[in-house]
Amino acid sequence: MTLTVRARADAVATFRFVSVHLMETLARWVPTTPELEVKVLFGRHIWELAQHADAFGRRTAELRLGPHASREPVTTFRQALERFAATAETAARVDGFYAGAVPLLERLYRDYLARTDALLDEPSVRILERALADLARLQGEREELRRERPEIALSDPDGPQRLARAAQTLDAAVDFRPTAPPDAAA
Amino acid sequence: MPDAGFGIKVVRGVTLLVDPAREPCFTCVDSDTEMVEWPDMSDVSRRERLHRHMNNECGALEIAAQALVDFPDAPWELRLRLARQAADEARHTAALFRRVRELGGKKGEFPVMNFEWSFTSRLGSLAGRLAVQNRTFEAGLIDLLGALRATWREAGDWETAELLDGILADEIVHVRFGNQWIRQLTELNPGVLLQVAQAVRLLGQAIRGLAPQEGEVNRSGFILGTKPAPAVNVQGRLEAQFTDEEIKAVLRQAGFRSILPHQLGEPA
Repeated sequence: MTLTVRARADAVATFRFVSVHLMETLARWVPTTPELEVKVLFGRHIWELAQHADAFGRRTAELRLGPHASREPVTTFRQALERFAATAETAARVDGFYAGAVPLLERLYRDYLARTDALLDEPSVRILERALADLARLQGEREELRRERPEIALSDPDGPQRLARAAQTLDAAVDFRPTAPPDAAA
Repeated sequence: MPDAGFGIKVVRGVTLLVDPAREPCFTCVDSDTEMVEWPDMSDVSRRERLHRHMNNECGALEIAAQALVDFPDAPWELRLRLARQAADEARHTAALFRRVRELGGKKGEFPVMNFEWSFTSRLGSLAGRLAVQNRTFEAGLIDLLGALRATWREAGDWETAELLDGILADEIVHVRFGNQWIRQLTELNPGVLLQVAQAVRLLGQAIRGLAPQEGEVNRSGFILGTKPAPAVNVQGRLEAQFTDEEIKAVLRQAGFRSILPHQLGEPA
């Protein structure tokens, strides 16, 4: 069975929460990261995440959850995001974001795309397809940084995976509301 | 007022936020007397001008980013604008860094100051920060960039002039949304005007406190306080949605010097 309207709303609102959280994480890191090139990369990508959050927020209104509705993810995932935001070392921030958070988002978005009705839910599908293209570009820009500042390298290669492991599937990330009775609004 | 976790420093009696993180190659200073500057357009002067501007754009990036952190409950549309501003300032920083390198310079070649960050990010209201950063510092940049385009062209460097023109276009957008949002926030809550007035008053106090004494020179021997303020960029300020009255007031302060023929019923 594909995702119900209610489940789609829950997932999209969770995507919005995560996008805003990651936007704020990059924003918090900008003044506290010494390396100029890294500040610039984080600064440019704040806007990318803001645009994703904005698109998700407009979609939550259409899915009967209200405009710019956010839903907190599953507790363990939320806690992993909070721990991630407290990362202090530049290399851990860079790889944690581009090798941990971005692949995690890609996986969640793809899981959603696999489970939703692509015709009925086409507006969400288009938002996610555009977001996936943006995320691929972000990875490319991180590679440019690697070429420019190769010394910003991670001492703990497993670090990024800690966040990535926090939510392997949509069900591990989204705190879905119980199914509503047939006559109830979504 | 919040210290955003950065701690505070006191410079010439003015309380400021500690500088944002910089690489060890940078020398961060607290006073114009510790800076270097050359009035001509020699090679070293060109590099210093761009290097200083690069650091200022980086500061503007940091201010916009910190506002996103400090005001999570601000209206989403305003946060979206701040996120865009952060990305714009990041691009400006990168473009200026690229030009610095093209002209043979490097990061940290000259001292830098982070006054705009240290003052603005200490303000406790978002309206106050918009009034200071967007409506004051960036509006001043509209004037400065309007004049500098011509300076670089006259020096034969059209590439830098075009770079500055691209930055100017973005800065006008930042000032405009600052103006729009202060008006909007004030309509919702008239008390916001008090926050704006307090922020502007504190800025005036800080600038007076940090102003150079008569005859003070910087590290390159330039006598501070002798450089005239840039001419008012009337067209740029109109595009940024300053009112006619506000522009007239700025023109009066600048002794009616304008880079455009007068449009506001005042002698240019």
